[in-house]
Amino acid sequence: MIRSRRSQIIGATLLLLLVWLVVYPLVLVLIEGVRGPEGWTLEYVRLFLDRPTEWQALWGSLWTSLASVVLAAVIGVPLAFLFSRYDLPGGRILSALVALPAVLPPLVGVIAFMFLYGETGFVSLLVQRLLRLQEPPWRLQGAGAILLVHAYSMYVYFYLLVSAALAGLDASLFEAAASLGAGRWRTLRRVVLPHLYPALGGAALLTFMTSLASFSAPYIFGGGFRVMTTQIVATRLNGENALAMVETVSLTGLALTALWLLRGSQPSSNAAGGRKGTAPERLPVSSRPLRLVLAALAWSLAGVLLLPHLTLLLVSFVPLGTWTTEPLPPEYTLRNYLTLVQDPVRARPLVNSLWLATVATVAAVALALLGAIVSVRRRIRGGRLIEGLLALPWAVPGTVFAIALATAFSVNAPHAGRFLLVGTLWILPLAYLVRNLPITSRAILAGVRALDPSLDEAAATLGARRWRTLRRITLPLLRPALLAGASLAFVTAFGDFVTSIILYTYDTRPISMEILSSLRQSDVGVAAAYGVVLMLVSGAVFALGAERGSAG
Amino acid sequence: MSLLVFHHRDTEDTEIAKNKKTTTHLRLSSVPSVSLWCSGKRWPRQTQVWWCLLVATACGNDGRIPVVLYSPHGRDQLTLLERAFETRRPDVDVRWLDMGSQEILDRLRFERVNPQADVWFGGPSTIFDRGIEDSLLAPYRPAWADKVGPGGVGPNDLYYPAYRTPAVIAFNSRVVSRDEAPKDWDEVLAPRWDDEILIRDPMASGTMRAIWGLILVRSIRETGDTTRGMDWLRRLDGQTKAYTLNPAILDERLARAEGLITLWDLPDILISRSKGMPFDYTFPRSGTVVIEDAIGLVRGSRHPEAARAFIDFVGAEEAQLLAAREVYRLPARRDLPADQVPAWVAEVESDMVVADMDWELLSRNGSAWMSYWDRHVRGTGDDR
Repeated sequence: MIRSRRSQIIGATLLLLLVWLVVYPLVLVLIEGVRGPEGWTLEYVRLFLDRPTEWQALWGSLWTSLASVVLAAVIGVPLAFLFSRYDLPGGRILSALVALPAVLPPLVGVIAFMFLYGETGFVSLLVQRLLRLQEPPWRLQGAGAILLVHAYSMYVYFYLLVSAALAGLDASLFEAAASLGAGRWRTLRRVVLPHLYPALGGAALLTFMTSLASFSAPYIFGGGFRVMTTQIVATRLNGENALAMVETVSLTGLALTALWLLRGSQPSSNAAGGRKGTAPERLPVSSRPLRLVLAALAWSLAGVLLLPHLTLLLVSFVPLGTWTTEPLPPEYTLRNYLTLVQDPVRARPLVNSLWLATVATVAAVALALLGAIVSVRRRIRGGRLIEGLLALPWAVPGTVFAIALATAFSVNAPHAGRFLLVGTLWILPLAYLVRNLPITSRAILAGVRALDPSLDEAAATLGARRWRTLRRITLPLLRPALLAGASLAFVTAFGDFVTSIILYTYDTRPISMEILSSLRQSDVGVAAAYGVVLMLVSGAVFALGAERGSAG
Repeated sequence: MSLLVFHHRDTEDTEIAKNKKTTTHLRLSSVPSVSLWCSGKRWPRQTQVWWCLLVATACGNDGRIPVVLYSPHGRDQLTLLERAFETRRPDVDVRWLDMGSQEILDRLRFERVNPQADVWFGGPSTIFDRGIEDSLLAPYRPAWADKVGPGGVGPNDLYYPAYRTPAVIAFNSRVVSRDEAPKDWDEVLAPRWDDEILIRDPMASGTMRAIWGLILVRSIRETGDTTRGMDWLRRLDGQTKAYTLNPAILDERLARAEGLITLWDLPDILISRSKGMPFDYTFPRSGTVVIEDAIGLVRGSRHPEAARAFIDFVGAEEAQLLAAREVYRLPARRDLPADQVPAWVAEVESDMVVADMDWELLSRNGSAWMSYWDRHVRGTGDDR
């Protein structure tokens, strides 16, 4: 095991950087939370504890998040197996299509759900007519609606991470298991699953944290159902900032507990297997009927998953106010798209989002890779802490993190580590970077854990220096994980809404703000057109990531 | 361990910092290509991944003075005024960011040390008052100061009313006839509207807070406390089908007749109607709240002269008439020539009954009331 002085120094620098970026702004905000007009006070904590609605909200957040993890896993893991292990007709296209929920843009994506499954949405109307019901068959409201949106948008974490891990399996493992007489089930249980633990743990953590921080689904579909994120916003809107801070602390505490529990469930690195051979071939499905059933199932599932995107596409061609109670739009137009291209001021956000997301993703991948290598491979002291810090931003709702950054970097006090960044070009990429750390580091950590350390040792024995080993051995092996992390991070930053709304400036206004601005004018068509553009770019990035990731 | 290699061909990063305070205009001039090295045996041709992305960050200067507005008034109105003002003052470049009134307050607070905005354009006086508490505004007495008020004028010339925004009862005119529609607040509680009311989330909306305030102030006047008012709001909650996140979803659901009536502000309803939405409205007989939509100069504005000129322009006869004609803004000025004011204004003025609203009481107690409503009233209407 290589644990050198230089690694220790790099690790310490990284640790400091992460503390400054991730912990420090939060601490500054927390201090403001327990400081009343006359010094320190616990009054707001007492207020919080006394209100039953706060406990309801906390419990609501907890159980919907747990349920979201279960639902997302139930959808995502079988899909990953289906598409990585079996050779289905159109499998490559399918496996790309299935990742599409990750590119459903914020705000308008939720509106697409309304058009589909709302009371007068076409799926609801269809069911109503088929069953000859008087009333709409359901109401898109309450915990059920939230879970539907969560399961839909978050199974992608399981799907992508498990797929990446499966792609990293060595075919010789299966041959060895088979020659030792293990059946399929036994191979799955004893060989494949242990290999998937890091990916499963990572995906569970991502899903749990995302749904804990989820805001628009509960806000739009929640009805009277309380979760903590909407509670925080309501409290803040009402001007009770200190109470909102206590609520934030409670939610962050919940998330940190989960982080700690789920981290404990992950084996450190002994799941690593040698990867001397190639990735396993996709298994052909021999029985013809089974093959057809599987393919039909996969394609219809992909169809259901694509419905919101298609709806958005449809809405982007509808002139304002013409589509009301009809099942399908009565008129179509290109005007919504023309509006976007004709005005350079309205085209600018696309360019902004592109460069902001690129800068943030590249930086986040670099930091996450550095962290993963010094922590997992070099095993430096404090490595676990680095991993914890990389995951921490996920434990904090995006809005809160944005507020923390805005607070920390709205004064110029270099001796206190605070610089004036609010109102400049750099605050938004910085915020995206911090928010991207968990996504990239989860994927990359899982990838690095699955690497066999003996490869490094072999390279060292053969006289390769560290840089050469990294370049020739580690990075090529990590490529699926790197690209999975990077494409997820890019897409997240590209469509980010909660952070941007607090930190954007005129010169950095991103796409989501343009969408919001159109929605504020009830221009659903233009918002949808921008949503489609966002989807296409995100989809292209995903496709690039998937193609490049699997080509090696 | 440098994994990333940036090739800067024509980077102007340093200039960005320099130009921060000057005007910025889009110019594509910096194209760094980012290469991510993931190389294997056949390095470099096949395994090297190149991500070349167009990056446009450079800032130029077209010589005009930028004036940045933070405003909830929406694209249509802001574009309209931007163009009209720029024709008058070709040396000024009006830029605006469109956001909710609460967001404006938040942003101005964060940016206090490094203000990005010049003019705070729009929002009820209750929110401007909170801005004053945080010293976010600078005094300016616009040229039209004598023609408005006294309602909605801030202390020490810190803000002035530009428009009046009344609340109305709006309905889907394809399903509900004008005769059938509720004509007063109490009528929305009739059994006909059970589960047919859509409400914009009142925590986030100045208009809704004002309506809630009206109900509670009325209760205090009649009985001495808010109990009856909260009970009224509880009954309304029982009638309410959904609280919607934003006006767009409200419009969409009202147009699709998922709910039949709503309480909302007049300009938004008129604009949506002019765009083809099947909406109509009535004024509550017993009187409605009229929000004084204010405008003020941001403290620390970088281009105060141009900002003041813009404020003068918003209240000038020409711009007041323009906003009334094109985007249904009820002018704050009452001295506009009667023959030029669009017909709808006169109609509204004659139909509208303005309630005697105690804004100060709302300013003082608004937060406590809304907090109580959120915890004890929202979602309890069906249990009664």
